[in-house]
Amino acid sequence: METPPLAPPAEHFDRSFCRLATRVRRRALASSTVTGVALGLIVGAAAAGVLWKTGRGSLRPWAAAAGLLGGVAGAAFGHRRRWTDEQVALYLDGRFQSREVVTTALELRGETSAAGSLLLTQAAAALDSGDPRAVRPPVWKFHHGTGPLAAGAIAYLSVIPLPPAAMVAPPPGSEQVQKAEIKGLEKVEALARLKAPDPEQRRRLDKIARDAAALREKLKQGAERREALAEIARLQDAVQDERLNLGNGERKQGLEAALERLAREAMLKDAARALGDRDLVRFDEEMQKLANTREKEDRERAKKALEEAIEAARKQKAEDVARALERQKELLERRGQKADELKALGDALKDALPEGDRQQLEQQGLGGKDGRKAAKAMEDALKKLTPEQRKRLAENLKKRLQQGDLAPQAQEQLRDLARDLETPEGQKKLEDELRRLAEEEADEGAELQEGLDGAQQGLGQAQGELGAVPVPGQGQGQGDGKGQGDGKGQGQGEGQGQGQGQGDGKPGAGQDAGGNQAGAGGPGRGGGASRDHKGQSKDVEAPELRARARARLDGKAPSAGMSLGRTAGREGDTANRQGTGALGKVGPSEVSGVDSNEVPEEYREQIGRYFQP
Amino acid sequence: MAQASATGALEARLTRATEALQRLRGAVGQVVVGQGPVVDQTLWALLAGGHVLLEGAPGLGKTLLVRTLAQCLALRFSRIQFTPDLMPSDVLGTNVLINNDQGGRTFQLHRGPIFSQIVLADEINRATPKTQSALLEAMQEHAVTIAGQRHILEEPFFVLATENPIEHEGTYPLPEAQLDRFLLKVLVPSPTEDEMVEVLNRTTGRAGGSPEAVLSQGEILDLMALCREVAVAEPVLRYAARLVRASDPTTTGVGLVKRALRYGAGVRGAQSLTLAAKALALLEGRLNVSFGDVQRVAAPVLRHRLLRSFEGEADGITTDQVVSALIAEVPTRPEQVEQAVRRG
Repeated sequence: METPPLAPPAEHFDRSFCRLATRVRRRALASSTVTGVALGLIVGAAAAGVLWKTGRGSLRPWAAAAGLLGGVAGAAFGHRRRWTDEQVALYLDGRFQSREVVTTALELRGETSAAGSLLLTQAAAALDSGDPRAVRPPVWKFHHGTGPLAAGAIAYLSVIPLPPAAMVAPPPGSEQVQKAEIKGLEKVEALARLKAPDPEQRRRLDKIARDAAALREKLKQGAERREALAEIARLQDAVQDERLNLGNGERKQGLEAALERLAREAMLKDAARALGDRDLVRFDEEMQKLANTREKEDRERAKKALEEAIEAARKQKAEDVARALERQKELLERRGQKADELKALGDALKDALPEGDRQQLEQQGLGGKDGRKAAKAMEDALKKLTPEQRKRLAENLKKRLQQGDLAPQAQEQLRDLARDLETPEGQKKLEDELRRLAEEEADEGAELQEGLDGAQQGLGQAQGELGAVPVPGQGQGQGDGKGQGDGKGQGQGEGQGQGQGQGDGKPGAGQDAGGNQAGAGGPGRGGGASRDHKGQSKDVEAPELRARARARLDGKAPSAGMSLGRTAGREGDTANRQGTGALGKVGPSEVSGVDSNEVPEEYREQIGRYFQP
Repeated sequence: MAQASATGALEARLTRATEALQRLRGAVGQVVVGQGPVVDQTLWALLAGGHVLLEGAPGLGKTLLVRTLAQCLALRFSRIQFTPDLMPSDVLGTNVLINNDQGGRTFQLHRGPIFSQIVLADEINRATPKTQSALLEAMQEHAVTIAGQRHILEEPFFVLATENPIEHEGTYPLPEAQLDRFLLKVLVPSPTEDEMVEVLNRTTGRAGGSPEAVLSQGEILDLMALCREVAVAEPVLRYAARLVRASDPTTTGVGLVKRALRYGAGVRGAQSLTLAAKALALLEGRLNVSFGDVQRVAAPVLRHRLLRSFEGEADGITTDQVVSALIAEVPTRPEQVEQAVRRG
């Protein structure tokens, strides 16, 4: 359907109106586009700022493209929101002050009435007579001024140098360490060469050794410090587990039963305590001392106690405990025999020497509980023997053999010695025999423990080599020291006193007996300090004067709230020592609380875990 | 060609109307000194076919204005002085029993003063509401019903009521329904000094002659018809509608309206606004209504249609102030167009 031709006034009006409307719309579109450009540039400037801040310098100039995109978006928005004819007419009426004649005429465009024609004519006249320059909707608005500013900002941000990259501290321990040699780990690898009591432990020890070797290789190539330290900590746990393996878990009842049997004998109490602490080295030492005792009855009683303990352990199916005790029993027999031989030789030697030499020999250790010392002293004395004395020694030996209190094998050996002693070869033979007797036969379990202790120590050393503070181990130190006291006293009141005391002690020297750290002897007892509280204060009118400060410092224990290392826990075990760690003090009655209470077997492990320090 | 001639005729008609109205203004001005806006507003109502409520103090020439207008327009004029004892029949008329020629008696309608073309209802607020309401039908429908018989009043029918704002004792304020029937409420101001001097010159000397009629009944009806032909664009109509809707305190966004008004104008208010704007446009020789026309007629059209609230009365806010607020806050054009017009 064709549009009917417009009447001349309408045509005239249409022409005039379209001409001006196009101009108005074009400028409105331009304004919208410029607004878009300005907004785009603002966004671009912000983006350039972010890129500058984040160090993506090459992308900064591209932020200006946001202005282009903004312009396109503004143009699209302006086109979509372009003014309608009615809005244009209202604008034209407003600008020409034509009292809405254009708007009215626009509505009457299609009408043929006389009033409509007249209005169209009037409107066309108004449009024609109006100043075209008045019909210019402003393209530039105040906020468009932000566009050049934003463009300038983009340009500036594009040329200025990037800020220095923020120093991001690497996570603690993430730095790489490379060590050609970690000596501490060699001691762990040495576990592979130790004798193990059973194949299962053999397999575990081999694995620890292999892991240590792998770690050493890894450190040669370079690894993260924290990773290496974590591996060392894992190896420490594994070694510690092995150290505490004796009588562990279900075999604990057997261990306890064996300890109870051993503790019945007063002379075995220290040994029992050492065994209870799974300290096989100390246990072996205690048994060695016992073997060197001069009284055969004591050894017999000890042997019997060991047999009962073995039986009790076997009854509770603690086979490893029983094996360890059996080894000690065999060692006790052999060591006793050697001790007897040494004793017989020593007696004979003493009688052969003049009084002065005899005293000297006794001072050097003959007759003591240390067999090695005695044998050394005898060997030294033997070298100084004159032929006369050597002859007397042989006679003495023969006399001693006649007593018949020695084992047959020992009697046989001493008899041969006595027979050959008159010759120089005989003296050499006696020296060899003394050396044999001086050789200490170590317990297989003690050797293993020593190896494990060495491994633990090696791991601590490895930690130190990697720059970490070594975790204190489970060393037991023994020392007999005397220290120097230095006391300070402070009285309450208006005066202050200060004093210094001097003790008669000396620093204690500890001997490492199983810890991976050198055991330090406990501080010696401070001597009675003679204090001189000098100072003046006013007279206090009070029946008594009390100091409020109570410095309860216990030299044997760390201060409250201080944690030293960790105590390795065992499965199903409770606190086995009086602790001062994070859990607070564990009272004496709480030590091994679960074991000393009737806790059902099924809950024992759970409760043990709860109380584990 | 026919189109062009029709347009030419309309243009000539418009020119004649403008000239006639100028003559009318001049004629009234010969008698009434000053009061130009009052005269103009009265003419708006005349052209729009509405009625006018004139409010002013006594002695400001209200009655003179109406009488002069009636004389200038050559229309039948009647004046009703409203008093408290005035009865509706005194306004409308009544049937009286008379002896006819056949010797019988019949009722004959005795027409009241309402049966005129220009009715001056002087001091309308002095009559009782019952008598005031007698005017309702006449004003709205240009017809009266007497004894069940409807009588059409002759066109043009134009009521000009006056009321005195200062004497309230013994008066009956016009009910809202009746107020709404008045197209405009025109406030008659006091004359200026010059105007008063002129009044004194004219009234204290020799009596002047009566003004001559300058417009015939037919010309007046033609002007009224032409007023209806004045075009109003939709944006202007919408503006009038927005103005009226904004006077409703329950929906408005104009703060003063919310505070000062209880009720706003209704549909009749919007109709009156448009008609009065058309009359104004015609009076100025235009065939279209502008936003400005609507704004100029807004006060006389709306001031008696807005019912103030207690707060508004207590604060002394006048309805003219409210109308000013409406004009200031209700936008004429869409915002973007308005901004563009202002910026140039």
